[in-house]
Amino acid sequence: MNAATLSILLLLSAGLFATGFFGLLARRAILFQLISLELMLAGPALGFIAGGAYHGGQTGQAMFVLILILAAAEVALGLALYLALRRVADVEDADTITRLRH
Amino acid sequence: MLSPYLLLLLVPSPPLAAFLMLGLDPFFLRRRAVQVLALLGGVAPFFVMLPLAAVCFGGECHGVVPVFTLAFGQSEVALALLLDPMSTLVGLTVAAVGAMVITYAIDYMSDAGVADLRRFFALMNLFLAAMLTMVLAGDTITFFFGWELMGLCSFFLIAYNTGLPQAVAAGRKAFIITRFADAFLLAGLLLLFLEANSVRLDVLIPAGATMTEDRHLVIALLLLAGALGKSAQVPFHTWLPSAMAGPTPVSALLHSATMVAAGAFMLARFSPIVMSEPLVQAIAAAFGVGTAAFGALSAIFQTDVKRLLAYSSISQIGFMVLAVGLGAPEVAIGHFVVHAMFKSLLFLAAGDITHGSDLGTSMKAMRGAARRRPVAYVAYVAGAASLAGVPFITAGWWSKEAVLSAAWNTGPFGIAIWALAFLTAICTAVYAFRPVLEALLPEPEHRSRAPHGHPLALNLHHRARIGSGFITVPLVVLATGSMLGGVMVAPIISFLGAEVPHAPHLPALLAAMAPFAGLIGAAALTFVPSLAAAVEGAHDMRRPTRLDHKFQIWVIEPYIRLIRWLSRDRRPRDADLDFERQVRLIRWLSRGARMDGVYQALVVRPFVNLVRWLSGHRGGGVDPVGSAPVALALRLTQAVVGPLAHDRFDRFWMRSANRLVRIWVMARAIQTGRSRDYALGLALGTAALLVIAWGTTWN
Amino acid sequence: MSGLLALWCAAVALACAVLAVTRPVIVHALIWLVAALLSLAACFFALGASFAGAVQVLIYAGAIVAVFVFVVMSVDTSAEARGRERERLATGWRRPAAAVILVAVPLVAGLGVGGPALVAPQGTAQGSLGALLFGPWALAIEVASGLLLAALMGARHLGRRGAGE
Repeated sequence: MNAATLSILLLLSAGLFATGFFGLLARRAILFQLISLELMLAGPALGFIAGGAYHGGQTGQAMFVLILILAAAEVALGLALYLALRRVADVEDADTITRLRH
Repeated sequence: MLSPYLLLLLVPSPPLAAFLMLGLDPFFLRRRAVQVLALLGGVAPFFVMLPLAAVCFGGECHGVVPVFTLAFGQSEVALALLLDPMSTLVGLTVAAVGAMVITYAIDYMSDAGVADLRRFFALMNLFLAAMLTMVLAGDTITFFFGWELMGLCSFFLIAYNTGLPQAVAAGRKAFIITRFADAFLLAGLLLLFLEANSVRLDVLIPAGATMTEDRHLVIALLLLAGALGKSAQVPFHTWLPSAMAGPTPVSALLHSATMVAAGAFMLARFSPIVMSEPLVQAIAAAFGVGTAAFGALSAIFQTDVKRLLAYSSISQIGFMVLAVGLGAPEVAIGHFVVHAMFKSLLFLAAGDITHGSDLGTSMKAMRGAARRRPVAYVAYVAGAASLAGVPFITAGWWSKEAVLSAAWNTGPFGIAIWALAFLTAICTAVYAFRPVLEALLPEPEHRSRAPHGHPLALNLHHRARIGSGFITVPLVVLATGSMLGGVMVAPIISFLGAEVPHAPHLPALLAAMAPFAGLIGAAALTFVPSLAAAVEGAHDMRRPTRLDHKFQIWVIEPYIRLIRWLSRDRRPRDADLDFERQVRLIRWLSRGARMDGVYQALVVRPFVNLVRWLSGHRGGGVDPVGSAPVALALRLTQAVVGPLAHDRFDRFWMRSANRLVRIWVMARAIQTGRSRDYALGLALGTAALLVIAWGTTWN
Repeated sequence: MSGLLALWCAAVALACAVLAVTRPVIVHALIWLVAALLSLAACFFALGASFAGAVQVLIYAGAIVAVFVFVVMSVDTSAEARGRERERLATGWRRPAAAVILVAVPLVAGLGVGGPALVAPQGTAQGSLGALLFGPWALAIEVASGLLLAALMGARHLGRRGAGE
């Protein structure tokens, strides 16, 4: 792999992150936001793997494992929160949950 | 393969484990179990530090234990623990004092409810773990983590008596002021990282010492500001005396070896960066000696033992900052070690004597101590002698003498500093011996609740001893250390790679006389009734600063008189109201000139208001931050265009006032409570950060 | 060759991701998410990170999406809800897009400028991943496992019926 490939891969990973981020901001349904968060985490993961492959070390994959753990924890909590909100208040639109402000 | 330095990981772990078990464990623990856990967590670090210190004193004293390393490009993020002479000495001191204080607290707090006990010991252990982490940190991230964690714990511990509004307020004050100063430290550390491309201290500090002029100055100033805030030096000193609202063991831990001393330790740690900048050095020396003098002077006039000791801490840490400013960080560490011992001893002994007294922690509660609590009284005398620096037989003399000699040897500028420090030493002896002599007075006949007593101690604790050993052993150990520790000062300083500074005979002799002069002064203040009454009545001196009183006399009163004269002269009749308003304004200003008030007004109040306003808090009165510009504009409108009635100017001003209202409403609308909007805010912040990073570093 | 393959797979992943965040129906979005994650896994394989690729398939595309599917089963997918989603997206995409561009431009510009010069590639991977994870990074893994445990406990607590209702 050469430096140009790495640059393009990094651009693509930034694109993945930006896409997920767009989804997070644009979608109002909580499930869509969770999917977007997954994509936001996948972007940096690609960046780490690409960098690791370029530098020939294992650090990239190791960081990937950490990101994976983070994603798993995030999904578990996010879905649990979603279900709890559905049960308590029958909410699926993130914008209607504003009571924490008070 | 396994290096002995791996033990370093075990130093902060036991208190951390104790915190987890006491603080997060959902199961019910019995009182005895809580005490055992707390004791284990508090004492274990000392026994882990001992073999490490033995290795270190044996000569092999540079060990790094990497915890997590991530290299990207030319920069690296490396979390590590570091064992070098400085961290060994300070770590050993902190572990020893922490062990003593927690042992003492087992007895002292034995009458608290189980839930409170768990909370207290969980936080004490977390606090100890944070301090040890900070001391042993090998990189700035771990260092800052420990530093901040300590700040957080101090907030919870100072506000331990959550039922008392003033305890909560004191905790909040300490938290906000130290956080304010921590921002400087964080900025300094981040700039250092950009400079050195590494967070490891052994890379960062040499790189920081050799960087270019202008950045160097900025970074050194930022670090200094951070240290002054944490160490409660003037002008950040106001949080420390109010922090005495916490229980005595908290004060003993926070204000001797940890928290406030952390700033001095940080300065010593980063001293290669601070010392290569003469201006910053001079500022540090000036602030140090100024704070030392101010603290000692204020301490003389305190009528509450704990507040006296609080000012004493401010003053003694001023000596450490002074030593760093004089280019002798090794001497500062020496004083740190000695101060940690005698100051915790003083707090513990005073706490033991006044514990459960109807008079709270006021000076009168010390009376009759020699009969009531002989061990504690003897320990207190030892600590006071060490604090005052009685020559040769106390540890305090050796370390203070080293600081004074370092000042004397710095040249003409240094002699001025020496003179001020010498006067401070006399004051130190005066306030150190005052409680000692007070204790010789007979106990007051009928004990009634003293109005000046510390309300926290008033009847909140009643003695329920579980074994006097828990109190006596720490006192005896610390007293021995405070007396005999003097022989360690010279080895400590040479161990850190410097020589003990020696002054000529004359200043040394003078300095040796200081404690005796102070003793005479203290005796005069205690036994001569008129002087004692004068101290009792000197309420002004007990205010956070004395300056505002002078300010009142010299500036404000003449001004008031001038206005009175002018207004009488010109407009005899309806000027009165106007005049009254001005007088009130000036009075208000003069009150605000107190540092405490200034902080309350500048930092604490706006912060609280900002939070309230941003969170859409709608209770109570109007919010001053939001309505101030509106009120200002309205006031301006009335004042400027009131006479001009309804013309174009009027309308213009009115419109601008209305526009301000609209801006205010818009600003309020930012806080929607919707997670997407906050994500948007995060995005904008990230974008700004990226632009800054792109502009500054990625070139 | 493997570089080109990796680029192709990553590009496909990006396209799938764009589709995933713009579909009005949750099931479709989820399928596109799976597609994006699987193409990322292929990209990882092409880059020689076979462990990451395998884990990506197993945990990301497998376990995590499976959890999603369980939740999705209870979601309203009527034509009305679909229309509402479509309308929400059609009206409110401009500001998020602007914000994303605001973040992406300096990010990409920084990438383009380069930062510290790239060191030359050092060939194939050296050392084993396990030795890194359970050697020098052991503490990080411990912290991460603590995070997982906390998430587990939190999810269990939130999922409990009858608590605080």
